[in-house]
Amino acid sequence: MKSYFCKTAHLIKIALGFLLIAFALVACGESPSKQNTAEKPPTAVVPAPTASAPEPQPVSRVTEATKQTYQWYCAQCHGIKGKGDGINARLLPVLPRDHTKASYLESRSDDQLFLAIKSGGLSVGRAPCMPAWGHTLDDDTIHSLVRYIRELCECEGA
Amino acid sequence: MKILTSLLFILAFVHSAWATPELVKEKACGQCHRFTPDQPEGNIKGPDLFYAGNKLRKEWLMNYLQKPEPIRQAGYITDPGFLKAEPEIAVPHPSLNEEEAKKMADYLSSLKFADLPEGVVDSEPLSKGKRVRTKIKFERSYGCSSCHQTINLAGKIRGGVSGPSLVDAGNRLQADWVFHWLTQQKKFQKKTRMPVFQLEKDVVILLTKYIMSMKKENLK
Repeated sequence: MKSYFCKTAHLIKIALGFLLIAFALVACGESPSKQNTAEKPPTAVVPAPTASAPEPQPVSRVTEATKQTYQWYCAQCHGIKGKGDGINARLLPVLPRDHTKASYLESRSDDQLFLAIKSGGLSVGRAPCMPAWGHTLDDDTIHSLVRYIRELCECEGA
Repeated sequence: MKILTSLLFILAFVHSAWATPELVKEKACGQCHRFTPDQPEGNIKGPDLFYAGNKLRKEWLMNYLQKPEPIRQAGYITDPGFLKAEPEIAVPHPSLNEEEAKKMADYLSSLKFADLPEGVVDSEPLSKGKRVRTKIKFERSYGCSSCHQTINLAGKIRGGVSGPSLVDAGNRLQADWVFHWLTQQKKFQKKTRMPVFQLEKDVVILLTKYIMSMKKENLK
């Protein structure tokens, strides 16, 4: 009886080991097809406004500094013109977002874009390849980057 | 006689101390690298060397200086061709002969920040399980492999090229420096293209050990 339990425990350990390795191999993100189906609804990511919700952020302006920030940090993956074709793009398991593509970006709110930049892709249910920039860029800069992305996609968000 | 011997000894010491910076001048290293933090960051074209003694391993320096292999495929972060991965400057890095490389490695290893604590990261490697879990942190929690090449569990190179390659980090870098870089990047360089992270000490130690486990001889 004891050996039966030992054997079962051993089998469970092996199964858990395989699961862990499989999870690790997924690495920085899901496959693009899985990414689309696994997308969380916006309500799951951004809390619905409540009576105590903060005032909406003032719309930040895009300045020359915003564009330089984009070129310095974002363009490494998103490309010089924001087309998602930066020097790292072809080496990632999930392609970086094409910021000129309105069809996707008009389905994202400004809050979601802000959070993705500040806290990383995983925080909005997207690819973990996108790191968190919240300790590098201040909130005003991130707001202005959101405005710049809106200029690139020629689309508006709420 | 005793005085003469002492004088000769002092002269020999002074000569060796002067000779190496002469080599630095002769090879024009200062055209790309900073040897003091007083120089403006905007003009640099290669990694800073004023803390090379904290950062790099002497054996690696000896080998690299004689037979340089690219560490930054896209070039240095300030290179005009960086965002196109078409670097304009210093490709390939100039190579030195064995004697020059030894002198240079000795000199570079003497360039240190005196106030950096040593022995922060112990030498015990990660267990297999911890390595797998740290890989998940490295790739998924912090997105490091988006910009850095590393060796995956199958022994293959994977990852982006905008940051320096970490494929041979275990031979190239010193563990304590990796720890200090991850916790206080701005002490070394004001403007990098890497995000600033604010992580718990134990997480940084795990990440450091994971990075230090990368050695090119582990490639399959």
